[in-house]
Amino acid sequence: MKMHIDVFQTLADPTRRRVVEALRHGEMQVGEIVDRAGIHQSGVSRHLRILHEAGFVSKRADGQRRLYSLKATRFRELNDWLAKYLSLWESRLDRFGDALEVQRQRRKTARKEKRS
Amino acid sequence: MSTSKPAATRVQRPKVVIERIYRARPQELWHLWTSKTGFESWWGPEGFRVEVRTLEARVGGALHYDMIAATPEMIEAMQRMGRPSSHATRGRYAEFKPYQRLAITHLIDFLPGVKPYESTLLVEFFPSGESTRMVVTLAPMHDEEFTKMSTLGFTSQLAKLDNRFKLSTA
Repeated sequence: MKMHIDVFQTLADPTRRRVVEALRHGEMQVGEIVDRAGIHQSGVSRHLRILHEAGFVSKRADGQRRLYSLKATRFRELNDWLAKYLSLWESRLDRFGDALEVQRQRRKTARKEKRS
Repeated sequence: MSTSKPAATRVQRPKVVIERIYRARPQELWHLWTSKTGFESWWGPEGFRVEVRTLEARVGGALHYDMIAATPEMIEAMQRMGRPSSHATRGRYAEFKPYQRLAITHLIDFLPGVKPYESTLLVEFFPSGESTRMVVTLAPMHDEEFTKMSTLGFTSQLAKLDNRFKLSTA
């Protein structure tokens, strides 16, 4: 799976990650995000726009209110990509564990033979 | 027995941390990283085996080995990609503190279209009773995207966003 580099650039910004962190608590309006993230409203609005354009955040109208929430698909893509990378190392360390066990058994046998 | 978690440790370079706990002493784990037989018994991605040519167990010591496609499927896959089924790999022990800390720097010169670069992995051993926690810190190298990310100064905080990686070490 190929990830577009913009995805990483979008989340590389620490302020944007604070906005994302705030939105983990659920759907909310800009004011709530401002309170939770501790960022000025103009900054939040700008970062929300960027996150929305990059597909990380969805926006819906509820009467006069504009509600923002995280869009799972994008994060799932990122997660799948990272998991694929990690699985290479997981299987490598599985083999490390197996090799360790073989090494221990050999030493045990060698010790027994020495004693007898 | 184990969990893994990616973590952002430093700015500028992407890092991934993988931890495992083994019921063994650090000395036993150390042997698998720093001896010819130990290293050959597990190193290499799935479908490959390694044959160590030079292993100098000391700071700055060479770690040269052949990475060899080991299964018929992998040999065929390498042929299809027009790549040899064996690759001479060069590394060195950049840090060497017996039973505590080890760093291996590899020259990554096999990614098509990617300028050769060095990648260092750090291994630390923390004994606890009968067990040892082994922490491997990686500068990822298996994906071209990760290489690009290095230049962006991306920190892999994104991993924090997923509960899957929020498990603590058992």
